Amino acid sequence: MDKNEALQIQPRPGQPEKQAGPGAWYLLSRGDIDRLVRSLSVAYEVVGARMKDGRYTLDRISDPAELELEFPPRVHSPKKFLFPNWEKLFRFRLGGKVMLEAEKAAVPRVIFGMHPCDLHAVQVLDDCLFEGEADSTYQAKRQATVLIGVDCEPDAFCFCTSLGTDKIDSGFDLFLHRSNDGYLARVGSARGLRLLRRYLPEIREVDNPQLPPAGKSCQRSIRFPMESLAPVLGEVYDHAIWQEIGERCLGCGSCNLLCPTCYCFNVQDRLDLNLQGGERVRTWDSCQFDQFTRVSGGSDFRPDQTDRQRHRFFRKYKYLWEKHQRTACVGCGRCARECLAGIDNTEVLNSLFAEQVAAEQSPSPGLEYQPQMAELLSVDSLTGREKLFRLRLPEPVSFRPGAFMQVSVFGVGEAPLTIASAPDADGHEIELVVRSKGSLTRALHRLKAGDAIGVRGPFGNGFPVEEFVGRDVLLVAGGIGLVTLRSLLLTILARRGEFGRVMLLYGSHSIDQALFRDDLKRWHLGDQLDCRFAVQHFGSQWGVTGGDITHLFRDLDIVPARAVAAVSGPAVMYRNVNPLLFGLGFTTETIYLNLERHMKCGLGKCGRCQINDITVCQCGPIFPYSQVQHLREAIER
Amino acid sequence: MKIAVQHLARIEGHANLVIDSARGTLRELRLEIVESPRFFEAMLKGKHYTEVAPIAARICGICSNSHTLVSLCATEQALGIEVSEQTRILRLLLAHGEILQSHLLQLFFLAIPDYYGVSSILPLVRSERALVGHALQLKKLANDICRIVGGRPVHPVTPTVGGFLRLPEAAELQGLRRDLVAALPDLEASVDIFAALDYPDFERETEYFSLRGDGDYPIFGRRLVSSAGVDCAVADYQQVIEEYLVPHSNAKFARLSGESFMVGALARLRNNFDHLSPMATQVAAALEVGPTTCNPYRILAARLVEVVHGVERAIHLIDDLLLAGLAPEELPTPKGPGWGAAAIEAPRGLLFHAYRYAADGRIEQADCVIPTAQNLANIEADLRALVPQLLSSGREELTRQCEKLIRAYDPCVSCSTHLLTVDFA
Amino acid sequence: MKPKVGFFDFTGCEGCQLTVLNLERELLDLVELMEIVEFREISSDQGEALDIAFVEGSICSSAEIRRLKAIRARSRQLFALGACADTTGINALCTDRTSEQLVGEVYGTAVGHLRYRHPRPLEAFVKVDGRVPGCPIDGREFLAILQSLLIDRMPELPTYAVCAECKLLELPCTFERGVVCLGPLTRAGCDAHCIAEGDRCRGCRGQVDAPRSGPYYRILEEHGLSEEDILNELRIFNLSGEKRG
Repeated sequence: MDKNEALQIQPRPGQPEKQAGPGAWYLLSRGDIDRLVRSLSVAYEVVGARMKDGRYTLDRISDPAELELEFPPRVHSPKKFLFPNWEKLFRFRLGGKVMLEAEKAAVPRVIFGMHPCDLHAVQVLDDCLFEGEADSTYQAKRQATVLIGVDCEPDAFCFCTSLGTDKIDSGFDLFLHRSNDGYLARVGSARGLRLLRRYLPEIREVDNPQLPPAGKSCQRSIRFPMESLAPVLGEVYDHAIWQEIGERCLGCGSCNLLCPTCYCFNVQDRLDLNLQGGERVRTWDSCQFDQFTRVSGGSDFRPDQTDRQRHRFFRKYKYLWEKHQRTACVGCGRCARECLAGIDNTEVLNSLFAEQVAAEQSPSPGLEYQPQMAELLSVDSLTGREKLFRLRLPEPVSFRPGAFMQVSVFGVGEAPLTIASAPDADGHEIELVVRSKGSLTRALHRLKAGDAIGVRGPFGNGFPVEEFVGRDVLLVAGGIGLVTLRSLLLTILARRGEFGRVMLLYGSHSIDQALFRDDLKRWHLGDQLDCRFAVQHFGSQWGVTGGDITHLFRDLDIVPARAVAAVSGPAVMYRNVNPLLFGLGFTTETIYLNLERHMKCGLGKCGRCQINDITVCQCGPIFPYSQVQHLREAIER
Repeated sequence: MKIAVQHLARIEGHANLVIDSARGTLRELRLEIVESPRFFEAMLKGKHYTEVAPIAARICGICSNSHTLVSLCATEQALGIEVSEQTRILRLLLAHGEILQSHLLQLFFLAIPDYYGVSSILPLVRSERALVGHALQLKKLANDICRIVGGRPVHPVTPTVGGFLRLPEAAELQGLRRDLVAALPDLEASVDIFAALDYPDFERETEYFSLRGDGDYPIFGRRLVSSAGVDCAVADYQQVIEEYLVPHSNAKFARLSGESFMVGALARLRNNFDHLSPMATQVAAALEVGPTTCNPYRILAARLVEVVHGVERAIHLIDDLLLAGLAPEELPTPKGPGWGAAAIEAPRGLLFHAYRYAADGRIEQADCVIPTAQNLANIEADLRALVPQLLSSGREELTRQCEKLIRAYDPCVSCSTHLLTVDFA
Repeated sequence: MKPKVGFFDFTGCEGCQLTVLNLERELLDLVELMEIVEFREISSDQGEALDIAFVEGSICSSAEIRRLKAIRARSRQLFALGACADTTGINALCTDRTSEQLVGEVYGTAVGHLRYRHPRPLEAFVKVDGRVPGCPIDGREFLAILQSLLIDRMPELPTYAVCAECKLLELPCTFERGVVCLGPLTRAGCDAHCIAEGDRCRGCRGQVDAPRSGPYYRILEEHGLSEEDILNELRIFNLSGEKRG
């Protein structure tokens, strides 16, 4: 509604004016209201806000002049009249049966001064207390009570505007709006109309009520739709915030006692002085009290304030919402207003919601795709087309051998590169092998030490090194597949004593194309592992087997029962090598394959690396054979 | 003959009476105070002025209002605070309420059984239901004054340094006034009851010590007088009252010019007979108590005279309050350091509190002199005079008469701010 | 056979017994329901076996210990009447000094034959079946407890704090006017009497079973109280050193 425009209520078309019912408007002066109060006092107990000991309270009005129609939201809730703290359920005689007592009808009462939030609260009480077998004591009071609403001015603790409880269209008998020339009474029920007609027969109906602009605003608010509150709470049962407020909470129960919708109660027997009889009464209780959830034997299923505060929030904003699709909180702010510990519902809910949203939506979109800038420490040529890059990362990383980084050059693009070095304790430096074959890798090859390079990661699931401990390890690498196994091998060598025999079989097209030749030579000459090579294009002085890598399997002395095999190379190599491994006695559980694909995101989203139903970047690229044997796209293509 | 009455009943607090006589002469007579000392003066040390009166009230549950009020006055004296006329009247009303309450309790609950030959008021609930009902009615009225003005009869809540934390509502005062006026016939009946009692015929002149009212029967006051010529300012009380330890007893005794003196209703009445209300003066005549009465058993009569005076005075005080209209007041800010002493006529007699405050508003030194401590020597002196007359009447009668005499003083040894104790075992 | 009830007092001000006597409206009815066999303050009877003994005051000497034990021995149920008996109450204010210091401060000289012990609550010496808290006790609460006992039902004290009753009375929180109040820790049952009378809660009824001291002290600190200030607050009624846990 436009704040600058007076509220215009159009009479419903075709409705004869004389038969005005709910929805009709009448203009009343303060004098009319005083006369109404005086007349009603004959038949009703008239209750309204009045000053008592320097503060406003809803109390019996004996003199219409005491009645205040504008009063702050701080006044205690009218719940005390509809669902009083001390209510007799029945009388009994000690040792006897229930005493028969003439049914005492509820006192006919008019409550002047129901703020919109309190009218909403009555609807919550109706939901709860009429559900199932209706609470007859409440029902009797409810029926005997005329509710007359008045508007209010929110204070610093109100948050009704964010819940929509700052205004109300039904649930009252009359609603008095302050207007420029008195009060505009809106009729909300046939009973309301009857009372007006009977006690103020001369007042006139208004067709076009001119209400002053309604411009309520609250300093506090719930900053998200109520509908999302129950699901949000469903996610945060174990959230630290409950402990945080639980540790501040004094357990005084004020939040419950002041709440216009809290109705939990205790039932007690009160004895007459002569001990002949007594009455069973119900009194307000609080889920914050020690005794509330204590069961016989002394155990307590909600023993501390952490549990109890969470319960209060869950009941108000989740359980009752799910049951009645109405918020059981009306934003009156009474709980926070008088909480000595300063526990504030809006604060708690907003922070939970904000956090949930933050978890779902990254605060800056695309952040997970943004690389961090690493420093290129050194660049060494390995072959004519491969270079080894040593990088210093801005943040330390930890990974398993087989993991990869996304490396990028702005303007050219990004590509996955397997980490060639072993993970170390410091985690700041890694090595990558870049084979120049496309525009990105060519661009990378142009970089030199000291240049910055964009990296993301590491990503991917590497070799389960800890499972290899104590076993013999057979590494089978073809071509650039050695990069992956180098990381594993260096990891093993760093902890050499923890493993059994280590054997590396490496095949490449030619000696010139073999990677890490210096390393290979050192390993070959050293006694830490058994290192064998095969090249298809023979022509070197080294003692190298001619032919493809399968030739290296011929005289392989290995005990497969205590060995694992790590295989990394092109698919064609797997097709040739795997049968040999099975022939030696390896099983689908002891063969690990590197199934690198061209991952675009590393986050399991882009779909580029998906082999049948598995995303390599998340589940691999290192797989035990057993996990991929059924995947037709894994090895066979 | 040796008589030892352990834990004398129907007095406030614990005391034993020991009488040793042989061949018609009194060898030894002791009133032993076995109430443990509670060191209130020590407890008050270091306490902030806002806490002092609530702690001081706990000296005695029977006269907690007097302790509260005199404590507030002493604090206000020390910290340079003047209270308003409204506060002064409310405090007077409260003090009267307590005197009424205490006197009625003593007369009907503690003393009457002696004269009806029963051990307590409880058997009288059936045999003298009208009397008991009437006593309870009056007592409730007295407590209502305390409730409405002070918040509750025992350990009042509303009186505070500089004024009151909560004022009575006009409607409550109007109701109180109505009840007080309605109680006058009940009072007449009481006068008949007490006029008909057979007071033992025993007289002993002593020194009567009290405040001297300035145009009014005294409650608060600035001037101390005694029948033996003491006339000084309250602030000088420590110079006229000599507290001393006696070898045969464990309580601190007190003397003025003579060996013993009396405080309380009879002392007040003798020194201020001219200030009694018109009704009270008539009642005094009916009960045969006046400025020359020296029979300690007749302290009962003096008490009833004060009850009548109190009711009449309370009605006037309520009128004053209603006429002026009660208005909330700003509490004045205290200025320390300082020393102040104040006296009040508590139900049992003169009660002094004196405090020295440091600049931070905390007590450096406190002194409380309670009425019963002042009366102890006098009670013993009375007993010494009484016992020889009764030695021939037998152990039971002697004990009964002695207890009756002690009770006439309504000693309150709960107020043992500084009574000594001894383990007699 | 009406239950036999006795009232006893030790070191205290007798204000709790007086509060019982101040139940003027109910007293005559009450007397019909029980046989008051001992009430030294108003009666010189001395009874025998008791169904209920209400005991007021703290215990300060070996003579008092003997007397208390004798009362316990002949009473089926023994109830502490008021703070002094229950938690030592105000009497505990002197326990920060030795008895010699106390005597010196009050009398100026030490007295050789003084047999003074620091005051202690009843339960330091005998089994206590229940209690009527407060300084003084609340008359209505005493009535409810007595009624329970007379129909052989164990009375229960509120487990919540005075704050709850204060809120039900719609009283403004004293903290709002900058006045510290012990209501958040103190056991309810008094209908927030002192706060309703314009004062604050000084904690005379003792603390609830599980006082939220941590959060409460934090609030006091936020209101500028030092640790010593907080102790001073508690000292008046809640620092006897042997209060129940």
